[in-house]
Formats: sequence, structure tokens, C-alpha cells
Amino acid sequence: MENLFNLFVRSIFIDNMIFAYFLGMCSFLAVSKTVKTSVGLGIAVTFVLLVTAPVNWLVDTYLLKPGALVWLSQDFADLDLSYLSFMIFIAVIAAIVQLVEMVVEKFSPSLYNALGIFLPLIAVNCAILGVALFVQEREYHSIAEVTVYAGGSGIGWLLAIASLAAIREKITYSNIPKPLRGLGISFIITGLMAIAFMSFMGIKI
Amino acid sequence: MQHSNKYILIYSIVMVVIVAVSLTIVAVQLKPAQDENIRIEKMQNILSSVNIPIAEIPKKEISALYDKYITSAVAVNVKGEEVITDATQVFKIEVVNELKKPDDQQSLPVFIARLDNGDTAYVLPLRGKGLWGPIWGYISLKSDFNTIYGAMFDHKGETPGLGAEIGQQWFIEPFKGKTIFDQNGKFTSIQIIKGGAADDNPHGVDAISGGTITSKGVEKMIFDNLGSYQAFIQTHKNH
Amino acid sequence: MSEKLTKVEKEPMFSSKILKLLKNPFNLENPITVQVLGICSALAVTVQMKPAIVMALSVTIVTAFSNLIISSLRNTIPSRIRIIVQLVVVAALVIIVDQVLKAFVYDVSKKLSVFVGLIITNCILMGRLEAYAMGNKPWPSFVDGIGNGLGYGMILVIVAFFREVLGSGKILGMKIIPQFLYDSGYMDNGLMILPPMALITIGIIIWVQRSKTPELQEK
Repeated sequence: MENLFNLFVRSIFIDNMIFAYFLGMCSFLAVSKTVKTSVGLGIAVTFVLLVTAPVNWLVDTYLLKPGALVWLSQDFADLDLSYLSFMIFIAVIAAIVQLVEMVVEKFSPSLYNALGIFLPLIAVNCAILGVALFVQEREYHSIAEVTVYAGGSGIGWLLAIASLAAIREKITYSNIPKPLRGLGISFIITGLMAIAFMSFMGIKI
Repeated sequence: MQHSNKYILIYSIVMVVIVAVSLTIVAVQLKPAQDENIRIEKMQNILSSVNIPIAEIPKKEISALYDKYITSAVAVNVKGEEVITDATQVFKIEVVNELKKPDDQQSLPVFIARLDNGDTAYVLPLRGKGLWGPIWGYISLKSDFNTIYGAMFDHKGETPGLGAEIGQQWFIEPFKGKTIFDQNGKFTSIQIIKGGAADDNPHGVDAISGGTITSKGVEKMIFDNLGSYQAFIQTHKNH
Repeated sequence: MSEKLTKVEKEPMFSSKILKLLKNPFNLENPITVQVLGICSALAVTVQMKPAIVMALSVTIVTAFSNLIISSLRNTIPSRIRIIVQLVVVAALVIIVDQVLKAFVYDVSKKLSVFVGLIITNCILMGRLEAYAMGNKPWPSFVDGIGNGLGYGMILVIVAFFREVLGSGKILGMKIIPQFLYDSGYMDNGLMILPPMALITIGIIIWVQRSKTPELQEK
């Protein structure tokens, strides 16, 4: 339990997808101009992460890892399909995003109106594939760990994109050197925010 | 352009088949080279823990050098009994997989090195957790099974310049000559001390400033892993 | 004069239009600093030059060949599964690159870890496929891929250069800051090694670039 909480806090603040790994930067810079759309995209990312990361973990553990197919038959103990993992992960993500889109559209049109436009963007958001690959690389052991990590990463992403959007809304009123306006200053702000987030580094609960 | 469902279906099937076949061919073709890399790296790590300067040695010669220094290897169980004595079999043991098993079913490798000066060193694999992910390494004990002869550590994703320093020579150097038992023969392992260890501390080394969690991870890794070898070490120590 | 003409006739493959495809991504259409594509996966590998160079080459190869393949298939791809087809082609190429790296430059591939896999979701790939390869012939698409990959790689290498020199005083692992500077009190700037400085370095690169080419400035 303690361990899970620790993981959760770490994945939001220290292991932040944007500030520590730059994942999902494209949509981050493209969308984060108003707080409202950023929050919408952030929620959509968190949601998709919560669904895809556990599924990808299951696929990896029971299909792809070296010796993962032992549950089928002992003959497969030496089989290593991990070279297919990139392909399978991205396929799972694309399929789930599509599925989520259809389900949301059918059962909750209001939610669809709010999130719908973001969903197609998400399939190619690096943060989603990034979480799947980090989970594989860091050898998380249980589905609870994976889900908590995915949730934390999503919330961390949401936090980052929403706060950058808030700063960018204000910054339009500032007098910035012309060549730095827009993209340039966004990078620098993100960098400064990342430095601020690094003060969480020492935290270990 | 609109296409019929049948066309789309056939198109996807053909695509999947072509992609799957070509990927499998590539993977199978390159597998031997990749396995060889992993094998060489493991040899390099083991040699590095007995203070052989592997960085200066071309990859091609590692294998011969390994055969020269590592004369035998055994795998021991938790009671300290030798369960596997065939060196090639022992080399193939994946410590990660062993540590997942219940204690009494583990068989953990010990690599025995014959040093240039005729002494023997015992190399034990380590496996633990750093800040971001797994860390691992090898530690070699002199034949008194108390004094550390050498060590090497590696990691998957520790912060460069901070936690990643565990792989650097300056971090490893102080381990040499430290002891893992106190005067009364009690197991103390190695302490990694923030702010620097006292010069006369026989069990302590300096931590990495800014890399505290990784340093602690190394400390716990050594304690846990040497702990698994307790019985083996005790039996040989008293000989 | 005449020599030049015959040369052009001999090699229509390198017409001025094609050369432009190759040249533009370095400045006016740089994928990172102007098109804002593909920042995601690769900045984390810019702590040192060597992984950055390998990463740049990998991305260039994947962009070039995925552009080539998709462009040759562009008239046969059913539009409804277009994105999936693109993803599959890209993922297959990335897997091949990853396997090759693991087999031949094992130590670098260890450093790049998950970031090779993340090339798949690198927006440059999908961006160029959608914007260029789907509507152009294979050869120009191939060149477009190379141009964009290299333009992207150039930024990576520049960022890595500054981070490695200032952060650890080395270039490609070789000490270049002379010892007497250290002796007289110079210290490596540890901050450069940490992730935030990659972002700030890019911010500064954009600043420099836009001061030189005012037409890129945003209002």
C-alpha cells in the first residue's frame, strides 16, 4: 500500500512525463493555449492511460516476454516475442482509443463532445506509448502497480499541461522579445517549470 | 478514395502477413549477434568486478580473458550447498528469475576467479532497485570471504550525473578492502553514508550527493543479496 | 555553363526542387523549431553526443523509408485504415532499427532504452507521412524524409553538444576542457545534465534562429 502511494506521488511530481521525459510534448505545445482545452486533453490522456497501460502490461506479461507463454504449454518456455512489443503496444493503443471513442460516443454524448476531438490525437501521443514502454522496462510486478503508475503519470501530465496553459494565457500581456514570442518562450517556461518540479526529487514517502 | 470492405480486409491481411514475416526474419537473423552482446557484457561485468580494466580490452578478447581468469563457477542454494557445478550452466542462470522464486528453490551463482597473484576471489551477482528502475552488479570477495576485492554496478535509467554515478570508478573504488563482517563475526554488509564515510570506517563508503535514493538502493542490494549467500559464506569462511 | 546544364540533365534526380526538400528542414521548415513536431521522444537522449547522433540517424532512416514506403503505396491504401497502415509501417521500421542497434551498437542501444520505441509516436513521422508522402511521388518523399530527419537530428546534436560540453566538459566522451581551467576553479555545470536544460537550450536555439530570420517570428 505504502509502496503504491509512493509510486503514485513519484509518478505525478518527480517522474513527470513532460518535465522529466518530454513525452507528449507535441500536443502539449500545440494545445496548451487555453486552460479549458488543456484540461480536456489532460483528462482524456489520463483516461486512456488508465485503460491502455494495464492491458499492455497483461499482453506483455502473458504473451510477449521471454517465457511468457508458459501458461499455454511448457514447450513455449524459450519463446521470446518481445521484439514485437512496439508493434503490439501501438496496435493495442490505437484499437483501445478507437473503442473508447465509440463507447463514449454511444453512451455519453456530452462527454464525447468534451473529449471527442482529443481522442484521435491521443493514439499518437508519446506519453501513452511511453508509459507502456516504461512499465515494460522497469519490470513492474503487479497490475495494481501498473494502474497506479498510469494514473499518476496521467495526472502529472494534466497538471503540467494545465499549468503551462495558464501561464501562456497570462503571458500574452507581457512584453517578450519578438523572436522569442510563442514557441521559444513556451520552451523556456516549460524548462523553468521542470526545474521547479525538480525540488520534489528528494521526496520519498 | 472509397474501397470496399473486402478490399480493406484483404489489404490488412496481406499487410500483416508481410510485416510479420519480415520482422520475424530480421529478429531471427539478428538474435545470435544480440545474444553474443549480452553474453560478452556479462563477462565484462564479472571481469570488471575482479578489477580487470575491461575498458581497454577489445570485445573480441573478452571471451578468452574470461576463460583465463574465471576458472570455475558453482550455483548454491540457500543452505549453502552446491547444487550446480557445471560452469557453463551456472553462467546461464538469470539472477532476476532466481530471485523471483521462493528462497528454498533459488540456486544462485558464484563465479570463482584465479587472480594474477595466485589468490582466489569469489564473484557474487547483485540485483536491486534504484530510484527509477532496476540496478545490478557484481561484487567479489577475497578468499577470507570477508574483504571486498572489487565491484561493479550498472543501472537501467538512473539520472545521469547523479544516480548513474554508481557505475563510475570513483564510487566503486572505496568499496575495495572494506569488510562485510565486524570483529565479532557479525554480518554488517556495507553502509553507504551520506555526507561521506569516516576514513577508518571498515564497512562504510561515500554516498553520491544528489543520488541518495540510488545510493541507498545499492546499499540495500548488497545487504539483501549477500544475505542470500549467508549460509554459503559462513561455511567457507570458517574453513 | 554547358557543363552545368548537362549535369542537370544527367541527374534529374537532384533538381532544384529536390534540393530544396533537403535544405529547407534545416532552417525555414525545421521540424522542431518551426513545425513543432517530434520534440517528444528524443530530447531525453541529448545528455551526450553519441546517443544523440545515433538517435538522429535512426529517426532519419525511419522517416526516409516510411515516407518511401507509404508514398509508393499511397494509391492503394484504403483511406479508412490509413492511419493504422502508417502506424504499422512505422512500427515495423522502428522494430528493425531497434533490433539492428541491439545487435551492432549494444552499449548505445542500452542508453537509448525506450526512446527508440518512442520514435513510433514521434510526430515528425506521422506529420510528414500525412503532409507529404500521401500526396507525392516516392523519390521526393524519400528526400523529404531524409531532409526532415536530418533537420531534426541537427537540433538534437546541437542541444547535445552544449549539454555535453557545459555539463560534463566532454565531446563524444573526450575531455576537451583543459585541466588548468578546473584547477583555477572552473566547474562543470551539473544543471546542464538535468532534463530541464534541454528545453531551455531549445528555447534559446529558437530565439537565435528567429532573430536571424524575422519572417518566422510570431506576433
